[in-house]
Amino acid sequence: MTEASGALSEALRTIEDQQKEIDRLQRRLSDERVAEDLRDALLLAASTGAIAAPSHHSRLLTSIVETAARVIPSDAASLFLIDVESQELVFEVALGQKADEVKSFRLPLGHGIAGLVAVSGQPMAITNVESDPRHASDVSQQVGYVPHSILCCPLVYNDETVGVLELLDRRGASAYSPADIDTLWHFANQAAIALEQSRTYQNLTEIITAVVESAGPAVGRSGLAERARNFTRNLEEDRVYRRSLVMADLVRDIAWRGEDEMVLCESILRDIAAFLDSRSITLHAAGGQ
Amino acid sequence: MPQRPAYSDPFDPTILPVLPRLERLEDITPEWAWGNSDGTGVKVAVIDSGIDAGHPDVGGHIDGYVAITEGPDGMVYSTDPHEDVFGHGTACAGIIKSIAPSCELYSVRVLGPNLGGRGNVFAAGLRWALDNGMDVCNLSLGTTKQAFYATLHDLADTAYFRNTMLVTAANNMPTPSFPSVYASVIAVAAHSELNPYLFYYNPQPPVEFGAPGIEVRLAWRAGSYITATGNSFAAPHIAGIVAKILGKHPNLTVFQMKAFLHALATNVRPRRDDHGDELGAPHITAESTVEIVP
Repeated sequence: MTEASGALSEALRTIEDQQKEIDRLQRRLSDERVAEDLRDALLLAASTGAIAAPSHHSRLLTSIVETAARVIPSDAASLFLIDVESQELVFEVALGQKADEVKSFRLPLGHGIAGLVAVSGQPMAITNVESDPRHASDVSQQVGYVPHSILCCPLVYNDETVGVLELLDRRGASAYSPADIDTLWHFANQAAIALEQSRTYQNLTEIITAVVESAGPAVGRSGLAERARNFTRNLEEDRVYRRSLVMADLVRDIAWRGEDEMVLCESILRDIAAFLDSRSITLHAAGGQ
Repeated sequence: MPQRPAYSDPFDPTILPVLPRLERLEDITPEWAWGNSDGTGVKVAVIDSGIDAGHPDVGGHIDGYVAITEGPDGMVYSTDPHEDVFGHGTACAGIIKSIAPSCELYSVRVLGPNLGGRGNVFAAGLRWALDNGMDVCNLSLGTTKQAFYATLHDLADTAYFRNTMLVTAANNMPTPSFPSVYASVIAVAAHSELNPYLFYYNPQPPVEFGAPGIEVRLAWRAGSYITATGNSFAAPHIAGIVAKILGKHPNLTVFQMKAFLHALATNVRPRRDDHGDELGAPHITAESTVEIVP
């Protein structure tokens, strides 16, 4: 009896030990998976150049709007984003006397010049706005500011209109000229790129948060955060990584120019990769090693 | 009868039609092309944001409406009278009516208060215009999306072969938009003169014609007016002139119309002037433009 009970308690201990070992191994596995997912997410973040910029995109957008309003002298300026869910325009940046008052407004897309520019994807310059109080948006009426001239340009990224950049009341001229339209278009391009980067950053933040949360209590979040910081620090010190980032930036700049340029760039890079794969010796170009 | 290759049957001498020859292009004048024509009998579709029939520049009457939206089960076509969502379509209609006041006007609304399905709705609008026998379509809008390149190209070719004149505004930004870059359409960008009958020919396609579109006074929504700049407002000037020409010379083909427009363009002149002097550099000023017959 004693012998039997001793054997039983021995067996129970073994089972317990085995269970502990299984738990430990499972934790380690999940830990490694999390680490791997995190690494992938951070690599992606790093390669898009979004990693170091949590809040600087909104500052960048403000600065783009400010610069546009300075280069094309204007009394007021706004940048709207399209809320696809509600089909509304939402103020992201507002500059000018009534900026604080208009910031809280949302405009339905089927409304006013900004709405037209958003749905048509075409810029427009308008003068003599005051001759038509009804055209002017409710915003103008509510804040008591009806502009004399408006220049409005869509923010287009990847063939999609993501927002609208608007200047109000050209200084030094009664109307915005075709040259102004052209200039604002360039600012709108910059703003569209900044926005897209900001969205990429937000998406990545969400991905990383999801990864961390999915890790569950088995993995300490502080440990993950520490590991993420180390990873980023290591990346920044990594010469190959920094060079790759420069190249990624270059590729992104080329890709931004259009579909054909993107195809050309990809095909050249593929050819270079294929060429390098096909030869065993390494290049010894100037500056190389 | 000898065997003919595919598509060669129409050239069988026994069925080959004999057609009236047009006048020498050199002798064409605005008077010959559109004198006394008000566009009567010509169907013009404004494929845009709708038209406010009640605007004084539109004249109170629209001959037909269709508003197209994309529903869960495909395109939805409503032929009830509608208004202009923005004012853009009314602006185009106002310009066309100022040039061809008696043309039949059709409002094909494809630009609404939301962004959903714009490319498909736009293509559906163009298809509707072709299926409903429009003679002229004013397209002061387009798409830059490659995904619609083939669909719109096909529709533009169909229009060309049906002698439907697609008058399209070039993009206001330096990226190609469809269908304005196709050879089968009459693409228009803005010049800075205000005479509605003054247009230029551009020998460097894709934009072949220039018409007023800079600081033009326009009909807008709810009976109002604005002054605006955009290629959108150049296209309806040419659409109006095309309607006016068709009112006097029905059944022209698109290539004939383009040849007429070329011959009538202000910067296209005889090789030698009245004094026998060689045509100089193609420098145009407001003062040097030929007299225009409205």
